[in-house]
Amino acid sequence: MKTFQIYRWNPDTPTEKPRMQSYTLDLNKTGPMVLDALIRIKNELDPTLTFRRSCREGICGSCAMNINGTNTLACLCRIPAEDAAETKIYPLPHTYVVKDLVPDLTLFYKQYKSIKPYLQRDTPSPDGKEYRQSKADRRKLDGLYECILCACCSTSCPSYWWNSEEYLGPAILLQSYRWLADSRDERTQERYDALNNSMSLYRCHTILNCTRTCPKGLNPGLAIANIKKEMSF
Amino acid sequence: MIAQRLGTTALRRVAAKPDAFFTANSAARLGLASSQMSMMQTRPVATQKLTPVDGDAILAKQRLQRPVSPHLEIYDKKQTWFGGSAWQRITGAGFSGGLYVFATAYLVAPAIGWHLESASIAAAVAALPLALKGGLKFFIAWPFVFHSINGVRHLLFDLGKGFSRTNIIRTGWYLWGASIVGGLYVAFFL
Amino acid sequence: MASIARSALLKQAASASKFSNTSMAQVRRHDEQLQLLYFDPSNRSPHVVNDPAPVPPTSPSHGSYHWTFDRLIAASLIPLTVAPFAAGSLNPTMDAVLAAMILIHSHTGFQAIIVDYIPTKRLPKTRKAFMWGLNVATAVVGLALYEFETTDVGLTETIKRIWQA
Repeated sequence: MKTFQIYRWNPDTPTEKPRMQSYTLDLNKTGPMVLDALIRIKNELDPTLTFRRSCREGICGSCAMNINGTNTLACLCRIPAEDAAETKIYPLPHTYVVKDLVPDLTLFYKQYKSIKPYLQRDTPSPDGKEYRQSKADRRKLDGLYECILCACCSTSCPSYWWNSEEYLGPAILLQSYRWLADSRDERTQERYDALNNSMSLYRCHTILNCTRTCPKGLNPGLAIANIKKEMSF
Repeated sequence: MIAQRLGTTALRRVAAKPDAFFTANSAARLGLASSQMSMMQTRPVATQKLTPVDGDAILAKQRLQRPVSPHLEIYDKKQTWFGGSAWQRITGAGFSGGLYVFATAYLVAPAIGWHLESASIAAAVAALPLALKGGLKFFIAWPFVFHSINGVRHLLFDLGKGFSRTNIIRTGWYLWGASIVGGLYVAFFL
Repeated sequence: MASIARSALLKQAASASKFSNTSMAQVRRHDEQLQLLYFDPSNRSPHVVNDPAPVPPTSPSHGSYHWTFDRLIAASLIPLTVAPFAAGSLNPTMDAVLAAMILIHSHTGFQAIIVDYIPTKRLPKTRKAFMWGLNVATAVVGLALYEFETTDVGLTETIKRIWQA
């Protein structure tokens, strides 16, 4: 048997403060991942428990939440086996809560749109066909394109907590670097200029919570360091 | 959507009376499940017209009432309260703050009648009991050593080195060990 | 296919006289509203959630140049702080350089703290006050350090004396 302490807040009764609710489950009948437990709780114990989920395999990024202190995907996070300790589940930190474990990611998506996450080219390709890229150049995108925009890293960053509106956050900066490093993109200087101010990039103080928490094993901290290095002179 | 509701409501009402369009033949051809429709009751649904501006106004009101999810209280304390970057800032601000206070006091000291020259401070420290002297020295030495070692670590990060997850976690703990040992050494053996 | 069925049904619905709350004209109006909502940007409300976040104006002096300057100062502090331990003390010129580097490093450090925790948008006057206060404080400390270096024995020598007291 395992007890889960889950953050609850209902927008239909907004004056009630958020609270923690306990649910106890028989782990022998539950799947191994925290998302399995959440679904079982919703099916059998409390249908009002609200959370986002979709692919259940760690590729869509919907079930990002804070489990036992770190941000991760519920579908990839194994339920810790010890019976005694309670598993604490919170929504992504320092986000506005829509309901229970559902965060408001509107600002996150607006920031993603602001970095122009698409190929920008002025010149057509030399032979008029594809924009070719060598294998070495393609390898530069490894570790960058796999980001699923789950927001685990950005919401683990204390700088992003204090300055969400102006600092872009590790996820968006990783994606910025994905386009900066893409040899086919031609508006590199414009992309640098968009980041070259006191807040968008330089609120990063290499706290490195982001790299530690990424559920896909990516390295936003390193990507940001690379952007800073490229912009330094 | 409103139009869809309109469609299904109309669907149900038309289904109530048999019609040329709705022979089983044509219904089957169009893929409409006629059996479902004939069993449905008519339930007029009350809808409210809302312009996009009104909808945004409702959303804005809802957003104002949303709480902020907990952060410092719940996030892994090894990373937030024991994190290298947090203590880099604390030690740095402490040191610089102390320097700024001392420097300002040094400037105004003659006007107030204090003596803050190096000789008088050295004499004052010499007069302290041994335990207090050691404690004071460690109090100053540890932040200095921590800030310096962590400073080097951060400069290596800025060069792009040492970003693997294991390295970050390990060097974080080595830093605490090294700074305490270093602080003790500087305080008591120099 | 579904749309054909729907419009055909709606025609049926409209022709039947039982429908009090719907009419062909109303249906058409609803359809038009949907078209406007989705296809005509000028009809949308001012706070469209889908717009990108604003990109601030480019300012390298606050961005990349500031960062590079900061790292250079920090890097220069490494040999400057190791040398006194190795050599016992520093000659007055090096001591003055060390004091100046520490002062600049402290100033940029405090600036970062103010920028992080006092946002201009929410607390514009407080932010300005703190920034100016910091400038004044740094100038005062600069003067104090100058006095300390010239009339007294200097930073490293003082620390040495206090340590070995």
